[in-house]
Amino acid sequence: MNRSVHWRTRTAAAAVAALSLGVLAACSSSSSSSGSAPASSSAPGASSAAATASNSAASGTVSTSSCGTKPGVAATGTPINIGAINTKQPGTDFSDIENMTGAYFACVNANGGINGHPIKYFPVTEQTSPPQIASLAKQLVTTDHVVGIMGNSSIIECSVDAAYWKSVGIEVLGAGIDPECYSTPNTASVNMGPRYSSDGAVQYVMAQGASKIAFDQSNVPGTAYIAAGPNALAKAKGVPIQDFTENVPITSANAIATKLVTAAGPSGAVVLNFTPPEALLILQAAQKLNLENRVKYWACSTPCNTDFLATSLGPKWNNKLFVNAELLPLDGNTSQTAQLFDAILKQYGTNVSGGVGSFSEMGFTIGEIATHALESVTGPYTVASVSAALKSVSNYNTGMLCQGYTYGNYSLHIPNNMDYTVTPDNGKFVQASTGGGCTLISADDPQIAAYRAAAGTAPAVG
Amino acid sequence: MPSWAEFQPYIVTGLALGGLYALSGVGLVVLYRATGVLNLAFGAVGAMGAFIAYSIIKAGNPGWVGWITCILFAGVVTLGYGMLFGPALAGRGPLVQSISTLGLALVLFGAIDLAWPTSGGQSPSISFPTDNGGFTVGQLQVTWTQVIALGLGIVITVGTGAFLRYSKLGTAMRAMANDRVITATLGVPIRRVEAAAWLGCGLLSGIAGIMLADLSALDDTTLVFTVVISSLAAALIGRLRSISVTFVAALVIGLVHDLITPITQIANYQDMTPFVLATIALLVMPRGQVMTRTREEG
Repeated sequence: MNRSVHWRTRTAAAAVAALSLGVLAACSSSSSSSGSAPASSSAPGASSAAATASNSAASGTVSTSSCGTKPGVAATGTPINIGAINTKQPGTDFSDIENMTGAYFACVNANGGINGHPIKYFPVTEQTSPPQIASLAKQLVTTDHVVGIMGNSSIIECSVDAAYWKSVGIEVLGAGIDPECYSTPNTASVNMGPRYSSDGAVQYVMAQGASKIAFDQSNVPGTAYIAAGPNALAKAKGVPIQDFTENVPITSANAIATKLVTAAGPSGAVVLNFTPPEALLILQAAQKLNLENRVKYWACSTPCNTDFLATSLGPKWNNKLFVNAELLPLDGNTSQTAQLFDAILKQYGTNVSGGVGSFSEMGFTIGEIATHALESVTGPYTVASVSAALKSVSNYNTGMLCQGYTYGNYSLHIPNNMDYTVTPDNGKFVQASTGGGCTLISADDPQIAAYRAAAGTAPAVG
Repeated sequence: MPSWAEFQPYIVTGLALGGLYALSGVGLVVLYRATGVLNLAFGAVGAMGAFIAYSIIKAGNPGWVGWITCILFAGVVTLGYGMLFGPALAGRGPLVQSISTLGLALVLFGAIDLAWPTSGGQSPSISFPTDNGGFTVGQLQVTWTQVIALGLGIVITVGTGAFLRYSKLGTAMRAMANDRVITATLGVPIRRVEAAAWLGCGLLSGIAGIMLADLSALDDTTLVFTVVISSLAAALIGRLRSISVTFVAALVIGLVHDLITPITQIANYQDMTPFVLATIALLVMPRGQVMTRTREEG
């Protein structure tokens, strides 16, 4: 009898354990970050006092007062509702982009606003669930009554919502990731996105003489599309390339680093396309295992261009790791744009947790272009007038991009197709001394070739 | 298919991870044997301890202060949970007792996300001085941290086995695993024995948390879920009784998981390793044989 009871207990325990495995696995794969951004992060008028108090505290000669046309005067007109959708989940978090755009808008609001109107910003986050993303888009339009979408950055949002934005006539300004962010008429990005940024990283190491490429990226939707670019570039130059994907969050970075180094070989290069935490895991694992010098070069797409990554890695990676920088390298930069970026980040960017980095630069650049477009509207702020204003943006010098920014009226948009390359320098990222300046992404990538055929090649401005 | 030489580096990384899965699995088994509770908060407690350690070290304190704080934090939180909820849940079934620890895990998971947000890609990490030292076996680079991880798994398993067999407290734990009521009737202070089991399990979760933060990643999802899944699978293969079978299973899970890495066709499915191995083991291993072995061992 006792034996029978024990068996039942053990069977029950085993069942609980098996059930727990399933439950934990489900949590592991679908758990989402709980910290979604507030529905409205910049209530009109709320930031005026702060702006007045600290305008003079900005660093350098440029202060936050230059955000708007009326320094220190809070905008009090009818709000212009603008929305944004960012991915925020374990292992993939782009919310610094909309947070920095929100910071820019807060600065604008505190300094006269847009022709006297404050921007009311509605940044939301999603966890790569298509129904959730579609629902958020409709919520922004029908509940929050946004007249523009500015600051989007999501793994799948463009593919989910492209048709919807077109149906309601909204032109989207964002930092793109999935193919539809670059290949549809209603969306244009300030960044090159993972494909073209990976192109930049691959073309850089090939230019430096890498004889083989091991290209690794997160195992998320769209990896084949992203890999197609680097593969086209490598094929055109006759350089062998091997593609890998990893489930994120990464749980065995040591094994991955070993695999990549083995694949690239001593005269080859490892090119990573991950968010900063995941890339850092692989690079740190390589460092722990003394693998950093077992290949000729390491390279990374834009997300690695974050100071904390350079700080965490240390000097071993100086001139060993090369990161594609889609936007202006900020370290040591004293341009007015760089100063304004610093000032806004300090005063309004308390929720930009990554600090100085590609994501915050993208958010800032979106803020610049959005403000420029909105200021050109002469009548009421409607979906139609805001969309028309965006489409009219032409060769606008943001101070952040190599080229002037053009939104235009094209069937595809890759307005940022010229980039920098940076390398760590004792805890900072600086422009690489060899070939690190503004360089056009090769038209060996057929998508780049198609865009240039439609829109031409914008000249360098910076 | 990669060559044997290409597989070799993954033996080192797999054994190191397996050692920590073993340590975690042993902690789960010991607590289960003493209290009947499957502690699903094992990973979360260690994860929170590791994040606290990260903050302490980042503030400029010596590394050892952070490491010890992590282990003590995990011990105290687990003990506190056991003392607070253990008696109240003692009469309930294993399902209720285990799911209640999942509640603790989710609370801690949320707290970590709140206190150490990942927005923008700030990437907390923990490293040991032993990361930069090691030795080479042929072409293989082995760090002292990897050696320590595997060594800890072995030491904890052997030590726990000896403790259960030869110490008075260990004997009491084994008795409680057989029959809690009769053990209490015989005058064994069951609350004290349970407290020792909770504390031991907590300390082990702290050790596993801080080690895995270095060897794997200081990432809440990884530490809270992935680690406990692998450890739980190992404990399940050990039928939640045998620490030696749990130890071997954990090593195999760690090894197989990493050995799959160079096989590009299936590499993206390597996270299924604990599920697949646990399922195969439960289907194939004769129940009677396992029970006999565990009785002999216990």
